[in-house]
Amino acid sequence: MRTQYGKRHVRAFWFFVAPCLILFTTFFLVPLLLSIGLSFTNYDGWKTMDFIGLKNYRELFSDIKFYNALGRTFRYTLFSLPFKVIVPLLVAVLVTAKSVKAKGIVRTMIYTPSLLSALVVGITINWMFGAEYGLINYLIKLMGGVPLQWALNYKLATFVISFASNWASTGFYMVIFIGGINNISGEIYEAAAIDGSSNVQTFFRITIPMLAPTTFLVTLLSTVNLLKEYALVQGITQGGPGLNTTFIIQFIFDKGFNQMQHGYASAISLVVMIIFASIAFVQFKISNGGDR
Amino acid sequence: MKKALTVVLVSLLLTSALFAAGTKEATGAGSKVLKVMLSEEPSSEDALLGTLKKWAAETGNTLDVMVIPYEDQLTKFPLMARNNDLPDLIATTRLARLYPDEFLDMAEYLDMSIFEPMAVEIIVQDYKTEKKSTVPQQFTITNVFYNKDAFARAGITAPTVEKPWSLEDLERNARLLQQKGGVKYGMAMDSSRARYDNLMYVNGGSMVEKEGDTFAVAINSPQNIAMLQKFVDWNNSFMPKAIWAGGTNDNPADYFKNGDVGIYFSGSWNYNAFYTQIKNFNWGVMPSPVGSVSGSAILGGSGLGVPTGAKNKDLAISFLKWFYTKENFQGYLNQDKGLSSLVGVTYSPDDPQVVEDYKIMQSEVAKVTYAFSTDESSMWRNFYDNEYRDAMREAVNGDISAHKALTDFATILSKKSGWRMKY
Repeated sequence: MRTQYGKRHVRAFWFFVAPCLILFTTFFLVPLLLSIGLSFTNYDGWKTMDFIGLKNYRELFSDIKFYNALGRTFRYTLFSLPFKVIVPLLVAVLVTAKSVKAKGIVRTMIYTPSLLSALVVGITINWMFGAEYGLINYLIKLMGGVPLQWALNYKLATFVISFASNWASTGFYMVIFIGGINNISGEIYEAAAIDGSSNVQTFFRITIPMLAPTTFLVTLLSTVNLLKEYALVQGITQGGPGLNTTFIIQFIFDKGFNQMQHGYASAISLVVMIIFASIAFVQFKISNGGDR
Repeated sequence: MKKALTVVLVSLLLTSALFAAGTKEATGAGSKVLKVMLSEEPSSEDALLGTLKKWAAETGNTLDVMVIPYEDQLTKFPLMARNNDLPDLIATTRLARLYPDEFLDMAEYLDMSIFEPMAVEIIVQDYKTEKKSTVPQQFTITNVFYNKDAFARAGITAPTVEKPWSLEDLERNARLLQQKGGVKYGMAMDSSRARYDNLMYVNGGSMVEKEGDTFAVAINSPQNIAMLQKFVDWNNSFMPKAIWAGGTNDNPADYFKNGDVGIYFSGSWNYNAFYTQIKNFNWGVMPSPVGSVSGSAILGGSGLGVPTGAKNKDLAISFLKWFYTKENFQGYLNQDKGLSSLVGVTYSPDDPQVVEDYKIMQSEVAKVTYAFSTDESSMWRNFYDNEYRDAMREAVNGDISAHKALTDFATILSKKSGWRMKY
């Protein structure tokens, strides 16, 4: 039998959970259920919506362009992920070092690009790496070099997108790592110093293992954001050269909003969501949920 | 008590500021607001915006101009319609083609005989009914610009209307311009399906062919494949490949304005911008080349339509009646420097060079091919549009052959439309 205290406790629980639950339901659950429903129709975004069963899914699983876009997305993610984790970690270690001056200003400067919208970042990077009038090629020519064909070489194009993505997100993940580093007890470092541990040894044997939960969080967030890359690509390469930087989100957007195949795009989105959720699940399992 | 009163007063102030910012004040008694939707941010010299402002000043009404970029219109327009928040007047190239039921039939309000028939056909793009969902606002044609100084340096004489170049002449001279004309690229072309399609039409190719009441897909004909292969070779030789291969947001018009291109395939809509902005080299308009079968030009443009759900339909129609008088349309045309869609009204420039350029652009109209008209009447773009662009991009980038690019596209178009494949 629930006591008065128990009932108050439950009420307090729902009171605190309610705002998040309402937001989650409104902006995730409801659209998810709608999307599931639309995936079985030929909805064109406005006037046509007929039930067509599994036709969208049959078409999707036989669409070579879907697999190509997914493959490109995975390759881009695998290439960019190490930089997304290692660079912010190293930067965080640097800006938390005792010998570094003006930490506040440095952290602010590194964090500022995270505040820019992805499209603005993309357009800025495009201006820098433009093949004809870009700043980087201008500097290369000034130094007597041969300008690089950023837009024509898919490896260079992918590198530019990855560079832009890392530049824009390093500050955000740096902040997460700083939080993790500050939570490591100073006594452990003191003990290591007494035992004669060098800085490098301390970093690899103490800092990194102690940051396991933080590293897992950064890895998970980075993976999801890389898999969902869209605005940067639109701002920089628009999916080119050819279709070499047309990732899965571009593919979904093109189907849904350019070709008005909302039903088909919903089917693609659901399949992609399941794939991405599976990847996150595997990460959880491998990292043991981030436990040390 | 004092604190509560302060809070209430501040809230009232903020709320009234919010309302004030959200409403458009009418400037005088009887003044109404005409909500106009444009598809790109207008420059200060934009002819349509200038004309709208002139109308507003003359009639004492107010304008509320909104810009919905071309790429966003397909998603925003249905949302606006569902939310009953449509503009009163829309300048559009495709919304009326895609959603003809959402627009008033202009033939019920305007005398359509005042318009050039070809302009109406091309811009309204409704080949199934007699309804005129829009009326022509900006009537455009593809054309070729050239860098006169680069031609002089390379020792090239520009073609004339009487003696146009062949495609072989074009290729030879583009290479020469790159070698001796002091330009980085002999030739550039807007990354637009319509620009490329002229190369297809001049060799007798087409997207579809009419067969009775239906069509057959013909995009993968041998001559089309050969032309695409040639175009791929041009991109690898004397054209800025990144434009057509994708991978860049660069606009070839900027390349031409910077003097980096000898020959630029674009359209009459760029003439005004070049006239006002290019000051560091001499340039002009040349006739487009002819192929093994004929010449080709593609007409296009933007129309003005009034949504059926617009709140101020009558105001929009009164603007259109004002706009399409000879005097007011002449004023618009003088600023737009484009082709006229109104019978008996032409742009008469003062500058003799502009007069010559316009004669050449006007001569392009005669090159519009039957194949283009047939393709337009099939409305194939309602089935696939971006896929054609993607196929071209992959071919130019070397990811797939010209044969595979066009055959694969022909296959999916055939499947979606139900039309048989001719090849």
